Amino acid sequence: MSAGGISADAHVAVRLSGVEKRFGHITALDHFDLELPSGSMLALLGPSGCGKTTALRLIAGFERPDAGTVEVGGRRVASPGASVPPERRRVGVVFQDFALFPHLSVRQNVAYGIRRDPDRDVRVDELLELVGLRGDERRMPHELSGGMQQRVAIARALAPRPDVILLDEPFSNLDQALRTQLRAELRQILRDAHQSAIFVTHDQGEALTIADRVAVMARGRIEQVAAPEVIYAEPRTPFVATFVGVANLLPAECRGGIAQTRLGPVTLIGAPDRRPEGRALSLLRPEHFLVREAPDGPVSAQAWQVIARQFSGSEILLEVRAPDGQRVWVEAGGQVRRLAIGDRVELRLRDVETVAFAPSLGIAAPTGSGHREGALAGRAKPPDDQREQPPPGGPLRSAPEDHHAPPANETLETVEPPVH
Amino acid sequence: MAQDQARGGHVALPAVLRRLPVASVSTRRPPLPLLAAVATIGVLAILPLAYLVIRALGADERALELIARPRTLELLTSSVALAAGVGLGATVLGVPLAWLTTRTDLPGRRAWTVLTVAPLAVPSYVLAFALIAGLGPRGVLSGTLQSLGVEGLPSIYGLPGALLVLTLATYPYVLLTTRATLMRADPALEEAARSLGDGFGTAFRRVTLPLLAPAIGTGALLAALYAISDFGAVSILRFDSFARAIHVQYRSSFDRSGAAALALLLVAAAFALVWAEARVRRRAALRVPHGARRAARVVPLGRWRWAALAFCGTVTGLSLVLPAGTIAYWLVRGLAQGEPLRLVADPIGDSLVAAGAAALVAGILALPVAFLVVRYPGRLASMAERLLYGAYAVPGIALALALVFFSLNVVPFLYQTLTLLVLAYAVRFLPQAAGTTRSALMLIGPHVPEAARSLGRSPWEVLRTITLPLLRPGLLAGAALVFLSTIKELPLTLLVAPTGFGTLATQVWGAANGGFFARAAAPAAVLMLISLASVALLLRDGEHSP
Repeated sequence: MSAGGISADAHVAVRLSGVEKRFGHITALDHFDLELPSGSMLALLGPSGCGKTTALRLIAGFERPDAGTVEVGGRRVASPGASVPPERRRVGVVFQDFALFPHLSVRQNVAYGIRRDPDRDVRVDELLELVGLRGDERRMPHELSGGMQQRVAIARALAPRPDVILLDEPFSNLDQALRTQLRAELRQILRDAHQSAIFVTHDQGEALTIADRVAVMARGRIEQVAAPEVIYAEPRTPFVATFVGVANLLPAECRGGIAQTRLGPVTLIGAPDRRPEGRALSLLRPEHFLVREAPDGPVSAQAWQVIARQFSGSEILLEVRAPDGQRVWVEAGGQVRRLAIGDRVELRLRDVETVAFAPSLGIAAPTGSGHREGALAGRAKPPDDQREQPPPGGPLRSAPEDHHAPPANETLETVEPPVH
Repeated sequence: MAQDQARGGHVALPAVLRRLPVASVSTRRPPLPLLAAVATIGVLAILPLAYLVIRALGADERALELIARPRTLELLTSSVALAAGVGLGATVLGVPLAWLTTRTDLPGRRAWTVLTVAPLAVPSYVLAFALIAGLGPRGVLSGTLQSLGVEGLPSIYGLPGALLVLTLATYPYVLLTTRATLMRADPALEEAARSLGDGFGTAFRRVTLPLLAPAIGTGALLAALYAISDFGAVSILRFDSFARAIHVQYRSSFDRSGAAALALLLVAAAFALVWAEARVRRRAALRVPHGARRAARVVPLGRWRWAALAFCGTVTGLSLVLPAGTIAYWLVRGLAQGEPLRLVADPIGDSLVAAGAAALVAGILALPVAFLVVRYPGRLASMAERLLYGAYAVPGIALALALVFFSLNVVPFLYQTLTLLVLAYAVRFLPQAAGTTRSALMLIGPHVPEAARSLGRSPWEVLRTITLPLLRPGLLAGAALVFLSTIKELPLTLLVAPTGFGTLATQVWGAANGGFFARAAAPAAVLMLISLASVALLLRDGEHSP
């Protein structure tokens, strides 16, 4: 196997094929395939410990794959037994802790990777301009705020014009106020530089806002790669459905592209071979429901009772329970905003198109980090990170802990990653 | 104040204490050159001792008879008794001092923190010399008393003197380990005990003391190890310890296998101490919660503060003021009597050369060790670390003998050369350099060199442009520590140095042993100043330690 050979299509910035990586007994990456078209931005999204940082380190050359190959800019840079060292890969890295050289000034940091470039000074000026740090070039890293440090790290990584830039949790070391602003900025900077980029995050809001495409990972494998809207609207597995956004998985009978739920029929989308037949779980997002206050008088058999309420400023989510124990999260707007716990409501489905999962796919439970949180209501983000704001893609919250799947599905607790 | 305390807390934490927590399974294999370098250093550290074993195994009957003598047992017993006594004494002095300087409103607490740690750096033989020259039969005190007509002070030679000197030289070990734990311990634990109905004293006994026990044990172990290995002080004080007997045996007999066998016994005794402490500690298995969130409540001493001040004053007086005063007295008297100062010039030169070279070599050797331990934690790294720190517990006299034998028989071209001496110093004090280098390296996140790699620089370039510049303060501090330790080192210098090579240490020892107090005073004064410099350095280093 030769590393460094030129492969056919050079418009692929990064390609990982059949990559495996084990640490002792732990398998970090398992039959891992990923492709990044030149000039695009991909988010690698998954719970802690799912292997996303390992994938990044394999691309950068800090780790070697046990099997499979890695290509960067059309060159094969790693295969078992042969590996191009990091310094010859043309891969830029922005670390979570920024890893600025503490003994070098802003300018020296940015210039570090292009010392042999005759136009070095011009290039550094250009980059400082791009990241908005003109005038700060003589300061030392410890004199900078977190946001400025991040910009130095980005400028430094961009300087040698790498084939791809890798960002590992680029916002996790910044405070809340900065994040939203810097996300947009980073996207613009990378766009302006026509830079292919992969960034790793466990934060779905980050992934959905910045990236052209999102790759959702679980336990060392890719579950789905698609545009953010598709990931949200047409998740391919229950894991993806519950990891991105709030998800209700309601039992349904599917026939001919229609899923019959207890609240009525919904139209299934996606390729015909992805539409299950027979018993299945249909994905219903909170905004798929119409909520109405139940009329006074005798309690109807159809009435749901509000058992939890989450207020997030722009909207209200209610968790409601049917007499038979079925629970769902629904979005409450208009006059039903003032509903309180204990109130009774009636639910209807809007005219929606969604997906359903065959029972063999199981009930989603992001088991990667050992949490079994919100199996039904969806797990918006890891429970250890409560600082995030709601992204446009969907409401963000961690559902209460004890919401299990309906009895019919209790045996199906874990997701086996589907074979692509 | 908490920050001020933190300075003292890391002072000179002896190398043995700086064991890493056992790291989880390492995922990356260290590069071959690094492994080769560390392996070479390990061999350097182990080889002479291995040779000592071989040599002792080949000892003839006469040598075995020598070991089997009742005298051997007698010596061993008295050395162990001395070690135990010193361990106990150091605890009795060290624990209260630690508590007073961390938890109370002791007046001048900050100053006492420095003053009570300072004796750590004063070599035991300087203390011994000062004690004899001050309180001995021909010393300052008896001279003064004789002129007043008082005769017959109790003798300070033998066990009492050795106990006193070694306790004064080693209590800072207990003080430092205990202080460090006291400062890290969560004050909420004591408060919880108080809220559950314990009084102040009861809470201290039931909660604080058990938490401190491992730290006290480690400190006492270091004190005992120091005592059992000590050679300079016991010989000046004419105490028949094992280490001194080895030296006598080595000097007086042509067959040196006997000395080798005795030295091995001493090594065994030292390791037995380490083993015993490890066992006790494992049983205690206490963990001090890290990172106290707030400073502990300051205990007002009230009227007790006079007693506390008297205690601190006595300890400092005996361990610092008395030696300094005595040395000054004999220095002035020697100068008045025309003691030629130029006698000090040569030893200073020799000391500087040897210590400078040792510092340089140790600084270089420390790099691969620190890299392996910090960047590639795992079984291999912790093994290498244990090995080096284990070698540190070998008494100096035993190591010296091992090197003499080894060089005479295996590498005769190195016997009695400065090269061998410098190598011996460097390997002996390597843990000090490795310790500071390691701390400095841990401050450089692993991503920093990775970032440099991804920016197109080769590993060697990254080392040159990023890692070494960032390591410089730690490397310098480590080299300085080795420099200061080397200048004060005695047994290796006595046995391994080329003929005619005399350092300040051998000068003090030789003169004090022969009773030439005035001649010993000048080199002792220089050593005392160097000691104070090392305390200053250690305190400064403590600020940077993580």
